[in-house]
Amino acid sequence: MKNWKCTLLMACLFFFVNLEFARGEGEAGYGGVIRTAETSAEPEEFEEDFYYVEEGLADPLEPVNRVFFVFNDRLYFWLLKPVATGYKRVVPEKARVGLKNFFTNLAFPLRFVNCLLQAKGKGALEELESFVLNSIGGMAGFFDIAGAAGVRKYDEDLDQSLAVFGLGPGFYINWPLFGPSTLRATFGSVGEAFLDPVHYLDSSGARFVFKSSDLVNSTSLHIGDYESLKRAALDPYVALRDAYYQNRLKKIQE
Amino acid sequence: MVKNHGRISFKTLIKHLPFVGETTGGWFPLLWFVSFFVIAVVPYPALAGNPTEQLKKTTDKILAIVSDSRLKEESKAEERRRLIRKAVDERFDWEELSRRALGRHWARRTNEERRNFVALFGELLERTYLERVEGYSGERVSYLGEKVDGEYATVDAGILTARKTEIPILYRMKQNGGSWMVYDISIEGVSLVGNYRNQFQSILAKSSYDELVRMLKKKVEEK
Repeated sequence: MKNWKCTLLMACLFFFVNLEFARGEGEAGYGGVIRTAETSAEPEEFEEDFYYVEEGLADPLEPVNRVFFVFNDRLYFWLLKPVATGYKRVVPEKARVGLKNFFTNLAFPLRFVNCLLQAKGKGALEELESFVLNSIGGMAGFFDIAGAAGVRKYDEDLDQSLAVFGLGPGFYINWPLFGPSTLRATFGSVGEAFLDPVHYLDSSGARFVFKSSDLVNSTSLHIGDYESLKRAALDPYVALRDAYYQNRLKKIQE
Repeated sequence: MVKNHGRISFKTLIKHLPFVGETTGGWFPLLWFVSFFVIAVVPYPALAGNPTEQLKKTTDKILAIVSDSRLKEESKAEERRRLIRKAVDERFDWEELSRRALGRHWARRTNEERRNFVALFGELLERTYLERVEGYSGERVSYLGEKVDGEYATVDAGILTARKTEIPILYRMKQNGGSWMVYDISIEGVSLVGNYRNQFQSILAKSSYDELVRMLKKKVEEK
């Protein structure tokens, strides 16, 4: 009798597996949708629900955002890029990567708290582990020894936590100086200031030095990225908006 | 379940196997057969070979061209581009890419318009790709896994940069004849097709298809 049940179960499993294959859902599976759509009379209908589940980001402020886009573009080419290029010439890459590691390590509270907010216990533990390791063994975070040992970083921020709580993005805002954001992300970054150790420095001069050196340093490691986005794009404003939002969606999902 | 002094003979094993064993009363060979038939009818992805393997073959080929010191001379630049282009063409389905990037507007275009669009858009993408690849400096590509669903597949990969950061890349592939062809690449969650789709839609909403083609042409001619 036992065998009967076992075989029945396996038969069901087999059938189920086959169904899964035939149905065509899941990650790669727009196959099913397309096959049926191509035989249907209305090709336009299926083009509408192509595989991108396009949770389009509203952009009611587009005219203003475009003005700030041009502003940020000029700011990058006229100020930030020349400064970062000069800095890049003087400071060797190893040192710049070290400084980047230092700032990443300094931003530990942000990632840790947001791991906790999203109930990612393993993430919080690994973040704590790499903070302790890098702060002590890695000379205040300049050397990412935890990363070299295979401890992962969890790039969690308040915007992602708010999204996990079920808050929608609102709409797109392209801030002057700060660039792509959403209403939700803007609220998030206000809260994030409290999780940023630099915010607690006494003198505003020191805060400025920290923030601007972080900006110049990270820009020096990414010269060329924005240029190639612009070069490949027909409408760089839309390209950047979409890239920002698609990347956000992926990070929220993780 | 089967006690045979701690050892299970082949014969006993066969006997007790579901679907073929005598213990199931002879019904299950039939079920087994039906099951087999269902599997055979469902388009089975393994027939065309493994998407990751095919992708890896192309990537390796391109990396070999890029790191070939003989081709690095100024006079060989043209040949190098030609070789890379050939390798890329073997693995990228430009038509599928264009179709998806135009989305619902694809249906409204004539065959000739489509052909022109595929050529133009393909050229822009190829140029972007070439410029990226030519900046190559010893990055390593690792393949992290694949999902196959009928004639569609995704391959998860990562590029380990010289600075030891890993950039996640997702290839979307479609089976075409015997080979798996790439029709979209997502880098850090940003899909290439999706990105262009948004741009095209924004342009088409404000002006016309002819204007879009004109912009594409201008972009391709840009030095």
